[in-house]
Amino acid sequence: MIELIPDWLGNWLGQDGLDTIKYLTNGKHMAWYSSVKFTLIAAVLGGVLAVFFGLMGAAMKQSKIAPLRWIGNIYTTMVRGIPDVLFLLFFPLALEQLAELVMAYMYCSPEQWSNATGWPVCREAQWLLSTNEYLLMACLSFGIVFGAFAANVIYGAMQAVPKGQLEAAEAFGFTEKQILWRFQIRQMWVYALPGLSNVWLLLLKATSLLSLLQITDIVSWADRLGAPNYLSMAGLVHPDWRWKYYLVLFIFYILLTMISERFFAFLQVRASRGMARSN
Amino acid sequence: MDWLMSTPFVQDIVILFKPALYNIYFALVSIPFGFPLAILLALGKNSRNRLIASFSKVYIYAFRGSPLFIQFFMFYSISLACNQSLWKPLGLDGLMLNPLFIGPLVLILNTSAYAAEIFYGALQTIPKGEIEASRALGMTKWQEFRTTTWPNMLRLAWPGYTNEVVFLFHATAIVYFTLPVINDQKDLLNKAGELFEKDYNLFLHFSVAALYFLVISMILFYLLNLVNKYLNRHLKVRSNLKIKPSYIR
Repeated sequence: MIELIPDWLGNWLGQDGLDTIKYLTNGKHMAWYSSVKFTLIAAVLGGVLAVFFGLMGAAMKQSKIAPLRWIGNIYTTMVRGIPDVLFLLFFPLALEQLAELVMAYMYCSPEQWSNATGWPVCREAQWLLSTNEYLLMACLSFGIVFGAFAANVIYGAMQAVPKGQLEAAEAFGFTEKQILWRFQIRQMWVYALPGLSNVWLLLLKATSLLSLLQITDIVSWADRLGAPNYLSMAGLVHPDWRWKYYLVLFIFYILLTMISERFFAFLQVRASRGMARSN
Repeated sequence: MDWLMSTPFVQDIVILFKPALYNIYFALVSIPFGFPLAILLALGKNSRNRLIASFSKVYIYAFRGSPLFIQFFMFYSISLACNQSLWKPLGLDGLMLNPLFIGPLVLILNTSAYAAEIFYGALQTIPKGEIEASRALGMTKWQEFRTTTWPNMLRLAWPGYTNEVVFLFHATAIVYFTLPVINDQKDLLNKAGELFEKDYNLFLHFSVAALYFLVISMILFYLLNLVNKYLNRHLKVRSNLKIKPSYIR
């Protein structure tokens, strides 16, 4: 990295400036920068899944079949009383155990089953998750948790679609499914966008919790890089610099929030083209 | 009775009772300090003084725009960096590095920003006519605030503030993921995780922890709804807070 800097710029920066750049572009720091990908993947994939679960939940909430409606209502109410961290820890572990149970039925012999004292039943049925698998699990849990928030938003937005339009569609002989997909869901986005923007911001902030799932994300890297170093062999000798790294993350997340807000404002303008406005 | 006490479910309820007190402690300490700070920030954001208004705006934006998880790490590491030069000479090192102190401190800073935004929103929607009426009556600024702005703001903001309090309680779950756990000071999720590591009985331990969160959230809703009723007592239509998820935070 350092050799890419032209001489004139190097002279202008001086030795201290060059050393700083050298420090900030060493292998560990590059790994830190590239770990931003985990955050972004979790946010985007989690967001897509959240909209998917949100649509399912909202459709269930307004279903005519009572048990489906109950499930929809329980799903959307659970996030009210229980913190998202609990779900974030629970779902990956639950899915892991479920997979291990299936593997145990497939690979473990009856003797191993009867002799088993704990978990897993036998060695073949142990699933050690890699980072990518943890990331997928995290995305799935984000999808489930924030899908519940999104379901509320989408449900409200569906109710906000003018009833007259749906009745008109019915009068034209559209089937119920067609009305749901071509009129209600097609038109609800404008009403849902402000709420979905809020859910997105919540999700974005929740991506900081990835380190709880053994993913070396930006937070764990910040912790490692900032830890005091007294060995010159291990790089620059410095005291505890963790607060500097966390400050960077603090600003990083504020910037992400700013960019998201701009983007959603732009989407809102685009989505409300052709809508009658009162103001 | 003995068979009941020996069921794993009841045993878990008993084991997790003390950890639940830590979560309750964090929330209960943060609310009385966060509330007035939030009101001050909301009034600050609404103020005509440019300096105060922009400070409040930046503060609210920064704390709402970044994760609480990072805020915990950041404030704890700042406090840690100040330890040798500042806290030790002042003899404050025991206090400033104690999770029981710094946890509520960060929670107060965080919740005051969220609540301030709610109160600020309420300030914007106070009926104009009422303020004009109080001015027409020749009230002083203070009288106007005391009789018109304050009760209206509180009444309009209360449903949102209720949400915020419940979210604050939920946020206490991550205190001990970021701050050091001293001795056996474990909160609900820490203890549930510890129990899980012993026997891998995921569903039992986590559902009991979730049950604690659920029940305490319900109690918070109930208590805050009583206040809501009191604030709206002059209105014919009683507005009840519903236990219905809100997506605004």
